[in-house]
Amino acid sequence: MTAGDLLLSVEDLVVRFRTHEGTIHAVNGVSFQLEEGERLGLVGESGCGKSVTNLAMMRLLPQPAGKIEGGHVMFDAQDLTRLREDELRSIRGRDIAMIFQDPMTSLNPVLTIEEQMIETIMAHREISRDKARVRAVELLKMVGIPQPETRLDNFPHQFSGGMRQRVMIAMALALEPKLMIADEPTTALDVTIQAQVLELLRGLTEQTGSAMILITHDLGVVAGMTNRINVMYAGYIVETATTLDLFATPSHPYTIGLLHSIPRVDALVGEPLIPIEGRPPDMRRAPTFCPFAARCRWRLDVCWQENPPLRPTVEGTRVVMTGTGATHQIACFNPPTEEEAVAGKPLRPGFVSAPPPAGMIDEVGAGRIGSSVDLEGLVGDIQAEEGPLSLAPSAGGLPLPPESEHHGQPGIFHDD
Amino acid sequence: MAAPAIPIGQVVDRRASRGLWGDAARRLLRNKPALVGLFFITLFVVAAVFAPVLAPYGPLEGGLAQRLNPPSPAHVMGTDSQGRDEYSRVLFGAQVSLLAGVASVVMGVAIGGTIGALAGGVGGKLDSLLMRVVDVMLAVPGILLAIGIVAFLGRGLPQIMFAVAIVNVPIFARILRGSLLSLRESDYVTASRSLGASGSRILLRHLLPNSLSPLIVAATLALATAIIDVAGLGFLGLGPPDPRTPEWGTMLTDSTKFIRQAPWLLLFPGAAIVISAVGFNLLGDGLRESLDPRMRR
Amino acid sequence: MLRFIVRRLLGVIPVLFGLSIILFAFVHLLPGDPATAILGQHATPERVAAMRDYLGLDDPLWQQYLSYLGNVVRGDLGSSIINNQPVLREFLIRFPATIELTVAAMIFAAGIGIPLGRYAARHAQGWSDGAVTIISLLGISIPVFVLGLTLQYIFAVQLDLLPASGRVDPRAGLEIRSNFVLVDSLLMGRPDLFMDGLSHLILPAIALGSIPLAIITRITRASVLDVSNEDYVRTARAKGLGERRINARHVMRNAWLPVVTVLGLQVGGLLAGAVITETVFGWGGVGRYVVDGIFNRDYFVIQNTILIFAIIFLVVNLLVDILYAVLNPRIRYA
Repeated sequence: MTAGDLLLSVEDLVVRFRTHEGTIHAVNGVSFQLEEGERLGLVGESGCGKSVTNLAMMRLLPQPAGKIEGGHVMFDAQDLTRLREDELRSIRGRDIAMIFQDPMTSLNPVLTIEEQMIETIMAHREISRDKARVRAVELLKMVGIPQPETRLDNFPHQFSGGMRQRVMIAMALALEPKLMIADEPTTALDVTIQAQVLELLRGLTEQTGSAMILITHDLGVVAGMTNRINVMYAGYIVETATTLDLFATPSHPYTIGLLHSIPRVDALVGEPLIPIEGRPPDMRRAPTFCPFAARCRWRLDVCWQENPPLRPTVEGTRVVMTGTGATHQIACFNPPTEEEAVAGKPLRPGFVSAPPPAGMIDEVGAGRIGSSVDLEGLVGDIQAEEGPLSLAPSAGGLPLPPESEHHGQPGIFHDD
Repeated sequence: MAAPAIPIGQVVDRRASRGLWGDAARRLLRNKPALVGLFFITLFVVAAVFAPVLAPYGPLEGGLAQRLNPPSPAHVMGTDSQGRDEYSRVLFGAQVSLLAGVASVVMGVAIGGTIGALAGGVGGKLDSLLMRVVDVMLAVPGILLAIGIVAFLGRGLPQIMFAVAIVNVPIFARILRGSLLSLRESDYVTASRSLGASGSRILLRHLLPNSLSPLIVAATLALATAIIDVAGLGFLGLGPPDPRTPEWGTMLTDSTKFIRQAPWLLLFPGAAIVISAVGFNLLGDGLRESLDPRMRR
Repeated sequence: MLRFIVRRLLGVIPVLFGLSIILFAFVHLLPGDPATAILGQHATPERVAAMRDYLGLDDPLWQQYLSYLGNVVRGDLGSSIINNQPVLREFLIRFPATIELTVAAMIFAAGIGIPLGRYAARHAQGWSDGAVTIISLLGISIPVFVLGLTLQYIFAVQLDLLPASGRVDPRAGLEIRSNFVLVDSLLMGRPDLFMDGLSHLILPAIALGSIPLAIITRITRASVLDVSNEDYVRTARAKGLGERRINARHVMRNAWLPVVTVLGLQVGGLLAGAVITETVFGWGGVGRYVVDGIFNRDYFVIQNTILIFAIIFLVVNLLVDILYAVLNPRIRYA
């Protein structure tokens, strides 16, 4: 396996959910590519479609609500959206492995760790039970579980959360997959455990040469873990760049907003955080204009009328989708300048963000129902309590004491 | 587990709400099965309340000359072995069933609710004592407990109501205790408390609506079982002491002797019991779905 | 595991204790003079005196209670005042009939309910799911006696397919050995009698099993649906396991848990329902024995059959809890 070969190509993926509350436009034409061994971060708020994108790739959308309504997922020269179920099954777990957010619920409570690990191995390899068990012990040792021989006979509830996630990682790595998808792998864990698990994940995927897609709402997590980042918003990729580029020159108003909402350890005393106002749009409406318009400080009149396509930040650049030379692209009609990105707000004299056109006040002012509510309420099963967008740095900085997180956040315990 | 999370632009207030009960009513009116249930219950209540107006004959009126007549324009549901009009007796029977059903559920809620509130509210030794009492009640299954109580207290409508009430006591006791216990520890009560909400406000705004909804659902469903249990006692011959009283279960017992000649005597009281029970079961399920905002589909 | 069983056994003791107090009160606190109440107004003074003596009514209440407990523990559950037969013996003679009925009803309920619930869960939101919802609604809304009488009318009176009542054709000359018709007929080498017993069993079993059928179908459907949405089922799918294996090992292994609990609880409902079913179908089991006891104001019969019923119910629930623990490692290792 050599870096540079294209492993995965998602082309114009569209996913919708048919629910009692209407159709939810969860993923609205997402395209990205991944090279072998590359590590990609998928970042965004709850309900932005990042988990759904990956479940759709594996065709694991909750049935019968979730449906891939367009696009292709090319993996190893096969279109995963067209494969027969049994062909797909041989890819799941062997070529593409997944780790889910909540290790408490992702392991079957009535089966021993041994049973769950061995069945993964035996589903894909002609191998005796004894050999599979030896392999399982080896894997548990690899992820740092003490006394793996005896621990194999335990049930999930006899492990701590961090240990369970290690088991999940061991299980995912069992067949040395070409691609590992980690969906919020550390969100449910204590802060001190998070760093350990991330480090383990990085080390082991490097060893096996697996590519990785890391889904998270936490920019701090992706910073040290990935080569490249896609920022998603309301079912779109709104910014894509190498990790270095993204942190050096964040260019989409949403990304800038995200970075400015992170309390930095090196921030000047008294330097205020700039929160993103408002909430994500109602995902039940088919998107017709920029989904971020209602919350954007840079919006123009055109933002209320058209949906900006993803374009290179430097005009005329040839688009490279993968690798260290990947093109920095954003979907924005009025990209902030570098100075504005640093300031977190428009600096052009006399600039006023365009007011919503008449008749759209209702939608903008309060936005009815935020997508996070929709997706968690209606599609909650698939993205199990993703939690609100966390901006406490987990891997890349010092964790904040819990009390301080609630300061200046009236309404966390909002009493209706 | 402390989630290191700050909501930004997070949705905090939920949809423009008409309050818990307003939302529930709106959802209930969209629930077709619940509306069907409501329709059956209305039929049943109208029959009970307006029996004297609707019934062409008195419940005891008849003569052996009219005995076991099949349904006809004069007697739409035929006549029974004493020549009494079955339709009129089914209507008046609704009074007995409605009265006994409602009274026993009210009694059951009062007794069970008190036990549950004391157990969940006070806790400690009282809690374990009361729960042992409930366990004892549960050890004697369902109608057998009612039979025993009627056997001890003697026949009579009040005794029947009490007996059926006792059968339901454990359900209500457990519901109230359970919701009180879980709510006392729940995050949003802790949250309200930390925001300085007063005890009574917490009780009124959070604990009460949240314990009331399961109680209302259980009470509605219990009405269905209560009607069935009352009729069951009547069927066993433990109904109202005056055997002439039009009670659906007792009427069915009479019908068994004439099942060959007069199947309508089985059909109509049987249908009356089933329809009213279906009504309360449908409404109860509908209420459960509309009162619990988390409940999907 | 052993500790779990012991703890669970210890939990039964206070319940039995409480129950014995209530049942003691049931006889010893009858209004007026309990001895007269038990024997009726027309009893001779000698019999009343003997009864007072048996109950120990002249002793302090606590002593009366202790002697009652002593009698129960020794297996002396009193005698019928009608025919002076010991309650325990009479109960045991009739019990096989009730077991036969309840087991048949349970087989009917679980045998149809579990597959039906699984089917409905797999085809959730389709027409079959709606049909299952209606079946389970009717199941819990139709009382045993209404269904029993209806079945009798249709299959016995109108169609003449199945016998309306009784356990076996009385003219066929079944020798009573174990008092299980299905067993005794086979012991006699008479398959014709076995079939006759079976045909007598069908209608009462359906009538009695309809409520458990409804409840089991509902709970199985809900449980399978719940478990199908669990994260670990998604994990299993993501691991590339086949649907059959996912169903058997990941879904059903977990979905069984609530179903098992409900099966145990239904035993209580079946015992209670048997009282009514036996009345409808003239089935000579303990249910009829209780009902007759009530009409005869035969207090010892009522008191002690209730006690036996409760003990059976508690034992069944104990067994179910143990089975639950075997199936659920979270309890086993708690």
